[in-house]
Amino acid sequence: MTVTDRTITAPEEALALPAGPTIAHRPLGVFTRPQGSEGWASWLFTVDHKRIGIMYGAAAMFFFLVGGAEALFIRLQLATPNGSVIGAGTYNGVFTMHGVTMVFLVIMPMAAAFANYLLPLQVGARDVAFPRLNAFSFWCFLAGGLLLVSSIFIGGWFQNAPDGGWFNYAPNSGLPFSPSKGIDFYAVGLQITGIASLVSSINLIVTVLNMRTKGMSFFRMPVLTWMLLITQFLLLFAIPVITVALFLLMFDRLWDANFFNVAAGADPLLWQHLFWIFGHPEVYILILPAFGIVSEIVPTFSRKPLFGYHFMVASGIAIGFMGWGVWAHHMFTSGIGPLAVAAFSVSTMFIAVPTGVKILNWLATMYRGRLRFTTPMLYAVGVVSMFTIGGLSGVTHAIAPSDTQQTDTYYIVAHFHYVIFGGALLGLFGGFYYWWPKAFGYKLSEAWGKASFWVMLVGFNFTFGPMHILGLQGMSRRISTYRADEGFALWNMVATIGSFVIAIGVAMFLWNVYASTRKWQRAGRPDVGPDPWDARGLEWMTASPVPEHNFDSEIEVERLDEFWHRKYGVDENHRVVRTATAEEVAHDGSNTRVHLPSPSYWPIVLGGGILLVGYGLIYNMWLAAAGLVLLVGAIYGWILEPADDPDDAGHHDDHHDDGDDHGDPAGNGGPGGNGESASAEKPAKTEEAVPVG
Amino acid sequence: MSSRLKALVWLSSLLVIAGTIVLIVVSIVVTDDHPLSTLSPVGRQGRDIARLINPIFIVAGVVFFLVQGAVLALWWRYRVGGSDTGDGEYGYYEDDEFPEQIHGNDRLEIAWTIVPTILLAVISVFTLVGLFALDDVEASGEEMVVTVIGQQWWWEYQYHLDGDTTTPPDFVTANELVIPVGVDIPLEIKSRDVIHSFWVPKLNGKKDAVPGRSHDWVIQADKPGRYRGQCTEFCGLSHGLMKTVAVALTPAEFAQWKDNQMTLAALPAEGTDASEGWEIFNQQCASCHVVNGLTTAATRGGDTDSPPDTWDIYGEFNGDNAGTYTDQLVAGAAPNLTHLMTRGTFAGSWFDLYLDAGDRIPYLDLSTAGTLNRGELEAWVINAPERKPAKADDFRGMIAFTGLSPDDVDDVVAFLRTLD
Repeated sequence: MTVTDRTITAPEEALALPAGPTIAHRPLGVFTRPQGSEGWASWLFTVDHKRIGIMYGAAAMFFFLVGGAEALFIRLQLATPNGSVIGAGTYNGVFTMHGVTMVFLVIMPMAAAFANYLLPLQVGARDVAFPRLNAFSFWCFLAGGLLLVSSIFIGGWFQNAPDGGWFNYAPNSGLPFSPSKGIDFYAVGLQITGIASLVSSINLIVTVLNMRTKGMSFFRMPVLTWMLLITQFLLLFAIPVITVALFLLMFDRLWDANFFNVAAGADPLLWQHLFWIFGHPEVYILILPAFGIVSEIVPTFSRKPLFGYHFMVASGIAIGFMGWGVWAHHMFTSGIGPLAVAAFSVSTMFIAVPTGVKILNWLATMYRGRLRFTTPMLYAVGVVSMFTIGGLSGVTHAIAPSDTQQTDTYYIVAHFHYVIFGGALLGLFGGFYYWWPKAFGYKLSEAWGKASFWVMLVGFNFTFGPMHILGLQGMSRRISTYRADEGFALWNMVATIGSFVIAIGVAMFLWNVYASTRKWQRAGRPDVGPDPWDARGLEWMTASPVPEHNFDSEIEVERLDEFWHRKYGVDENHRVVRTATAEEVAHDGSNTRVHLPSPSYWPIVLGGGILLVGYGLIYNMWLAAAGLVLLVGAIYGWILEPADDPDDAGHHDDHHDDGDDHGDPAGNGGPGGNGESASAEKPAKTEEAVPVG
Repeated sequence: MSSRLKALVWLSSLLVIAGTIVLIVVSIVVTDDHPLSTLSPVGRQGRDIARLINPIFIVAGVVFFLVQGAVLALWWRYRVGGSDTGDGEYGYYEDDEFPEQIHGNDRLEIAWTIVPTILLAVISVFTLVGLFALDDVEASGEEMVVTVIGQQWWWEYQYHLDGDTTTPPDFVTANELVIPVGVDIPLEIKSRDVIHSFWVPKLNGKKDAVPGRSHDWVIQADKPGRYRGQCTEFCGLSHGLMKTVAVALTPAEFAQWKDNQMTLAALPAEGTDASEGWEIFNQQCASCHVVNGLTTAATRGGDTDSPPDTWDIYGEFNGDNAGTYTDQLVAGAAPNLTHLMTRGTFAGSWFDLYLDAGDRIPYLDLSTAGTLNRGELEAWVINAPERKPAKADDFRGMIAFTGLSPDDVDDVVAFLRTLD
C-alpha cells in the first residue's frame, strides 16, 4: 500500500485525522473503529491527548461555574446575621457540593487538562502511552462529575445532595444521621472520579517514564513535567486510600457493614485517618500543577532561565514525600494523643521549607530579568504573592495549640482559599492564557485578560482576606447562620460583596474567550506562529494549534530548554544572540505520514456503563446490573477491537507503510496488536527519515 | 494604551485603594463586641495559646511584607515598559533584549533552605513546650469534674462534685456551663451521636466530642463573666445553631448556684395555671425532658439517676435503609429542665431566655429580675422545628406541638416559670 491510497487532509486542518476507506471484511463481532476527525461525534470517540485535554478543560470550566454559583449562595446566606436566603438544610448541601465540586471536579480536572495536553508535548512524545485509556479517564471523570452534580436536582432542589461536608466525617455520614441519598451520591460519585484519576495517573506516569524523546533525560524535563509527574504519583498512592474509605462507607450505608457504626464498636476516627491520608496529599495534588505552570511562565516573561532548576525539582519531590507525613494536622483536636499531635505539628512546620524555596526561586528568576507583565505573567506573579499568604497562615496552624483555636473556623477557610484559589486556580488561569495560542492558534485578548485578572484579584482579596479576621474573631466554619450579637456582620458583608466581584472577573474571562474566538472566526485565524511568547519548552516547537501528530519528526534533546537553545546562542562577549527564528526551528506540522491510533467507541461506552452502575448502586440494583452488562460488554468490545484503522483487507499491521518499510518494528505487534502499542513505543520512530519542515 | 483606558485603570485603582482604607477605618471605628474572639482570652489556656501564637503572627507578618515587598520591588525595577494591551498584538521581545542568563546559585539555595529550617526549628521548640503544658489537664486543684456531652444540637453538662465520673452525676444541666472563677475545671467531653467539638474561644481551644470516646479537657476563667461557645465540628442540620455559654461565677456565687441546682422541683399549687401546665407537661413533654423531683421513673422510661451518656439512646438501628428506629428517644436525652429559668439561653443557646439577658443582670438574678423572652419561648413550645431546623421525626431535635391551644401554651409557660 502506498501513501496515495489514502485521503490526506490538508495541513491547515491540522486537527483532522487522515481518513481512509472503510473495511469491507471484518470477523463477526468485531466492530470497525470510528473514522474521521470532523464534527461533534469525532470528539466522542477521540483518543487524541490534545482533544481529551481540551475536553477536560471545558468540563472543568462547566463545573467551575456550578461550584461558583454554589459559592455565591453560601455568601448570600452568610451576608447578614440570621440569614434566610437558603435554609440550613440546603446550606449544608450547598457548601458540601461547593467543596466537592471545586476540589474533585474543577481543580483536579483542570490540572488534568494541562497534563493531558502538555505532558506528551513537553517530553516530545506522539501521544500518551495508552490513548484509549486516556479517553476512558475523561469519560469516567465526566460520568462521576455528572452523577455528583445531578444529585442537586434529583428528587427536588438539594433534597438528595451530599450534605456532610467534603470531608464527610463518620458517623454523621451514616444512614441514621444522613438518611437521604446525598451521601450515597458522594460515595459513589467520588469512587467513579477516583477510577478516572487512578487510570489517568498510571497512563501519564508511563508516558513520562517511557516515552520521552531521544536525549530527554529526567533533568532535561521542564519543571511543569516534573510537577505533573509528582502529582500523578501522589494520585497513584492517594486515590486508593480515599477509595477504600468510600468503599467502606458505601458498604456501611448499603449493606450495614458497620465499619463506622459506633454502636457496633467502631471508632469514627478511622474515617478521619483514611480521609486525611488521602486528603493532605490531595492538597499537593491541587497545588503542584500550578507550581509547574508558574515555573514555565515566570522564566518566559523574565527572559531568563528558571533560577535553581534542580532545587525547584528537588523541592517538588520533597513536598511529594513530606505531604504524606502531615495528614493528622487536620485532627489536632480530635483526640489523637499529645505525642502524635507533636509529631504532626513539627512535620507540618517543616513542609513550609520546600514551599518557601519555590517562592524564593521564582523571585530570583525575576531578579534582574526583563519582566513583561502579560496576562499569564500577571497570574503567575499573582500566585507567588497570594500563595505566600496561604503558606504563612499554614505555618500558624502548624502550631498545634493555636490550631485548637483556629481549626474549623473561617481562619482555615481563608487559609485554604489563599492556597487553592490564590495558588492553584490563579496558576491554572495563567496557564489558560499562556497555552491558549498553542491549543487554538490565537491569543485571548490581553486587554480583557488583564482587566479580568485585576478584578478577580481584588475580588479574591476582599472575599477571603476578611475571613482571616472572622476566624480569629471566632466564626466557625460550616455554620448556616450566626447571631446578630456575635460581631461577624461587617466582614461577612465585605466578603459577600467580594465574591460577586470575583464572579464579575470570571464572567470577564468567559467573555474574553467568547469575544476572542469570535473575532478570529470572523477575521480569519491570525498567524501567531509556533512560539507566540518566545518560550522555552518543546511544546512550542511545533505549529499552533498543534497538529494531531504533534511533531513532524523525533526531536533530539541535548539540554534543558532545548527549544530556546535552538533559537539563541552566545556571541564572543557572552551575550545572548538570536541564531534562528522560532519558525525556522519549529516543525510546521506538514508531515502527514504519521501513524496515529484510531478513535474508539469503547471508552465512552465504558464510561456510560460505569454511570449506570453508579445510579444503580444508589437507586436500584437492577439498573446496576444493566450497567454492569454494558460495562463488561464495553471491555470485551475494547479487547476485540481491531488494532488499527482500515488498512486493506487482511493486512493488520499497526503501521502504515510510509515508504520506509522496515517490517515489524520491535515489539510493536503484527496482526492482533491492540492499537495501543503503536504509541507506547518510542515516538515517531518510523518517521526518522522525514526531514524537518 | 488609550488615554480613556488609562483613566479608567487609574480610577478603578483609586476606588480599590479608597475602599480598602474606608474598610480599615470602619473596622477600627466600629467596635463591635466579639464574644467569641480568640484574640482577647480571659482564661489561662487561652492566654497561653495567644502568648505562643502572637510572636509567630509577627514573624509571619514580617515574612509577608518581605515577600510582597520583593514582588513589588522586582516589578517596579525590572519591568519592561510599554506592555501592549492591544488585542493579542503583543508578543516578542527585541532580539537583543537579554539580561544576564543566571541559572542559579547553590549557596543561595542552601542558605534559603537552612535559614527557614532553623527559624521553624526554634518555633517548633516553643510549640512543643506549649503543647505538652496545655495537654497537662491533670494539674488541677479542683475536685469537681464536669462531663460535657454533645448531642444534635445542644450541650449537656453533668456535674460530678466529687470528681468520680463512674457514679451518677450530682445534677445535670444544659446549654450553660457554670464554673467557679479562677480554678482549672476538668472536663470530660463525650458525644451521644455524631462528632461535635466543644469550644469557648475566650477560655481555651476546642476539643472534639467523639462518640465512643471520652476526651479530657480543662477550662479556666480569670474573671466572672459569660463566655460564648459554639460547636465547631460539623454535626449535621443545625450545626450552626448549636451554641453554648460558659458562665464564670465567684466562688460564693458558684456555691449558691450549685446548692440551688441540687434542689428538686416541687409541684405547683393546685388550681393555678402552672398546675394546669404541669398536667400538659407531664403528658406531652416528660417522656423526653427530665424535671428532677417531678418526673418519675415511669415517665422517664427507666433509670432515675443517670441519664444515658452512650450512643445507644437512639435504640437499635433497623437497618432497612429507611433510617428508622425501633425505639423512641428515651427521657434524659433532651435537656434537663429542673432549673430552666436560671439559664440565660435555651434551644442550644441559640435563643435568649430573657430579653435583656446581657451582662447587666447578675446571673443568679436572671429568673427574678429578667424579662422573659415570652414570644420566643412560646413559639418554641408550639413549633420548635420551625424555629431551629431539626430532624424531629428522627428523634433529633424537639418535635412540634401545634395541637396545643393558646391557653395550653400559657399554662405550660407558667409551669416552666416555676422551674427556677
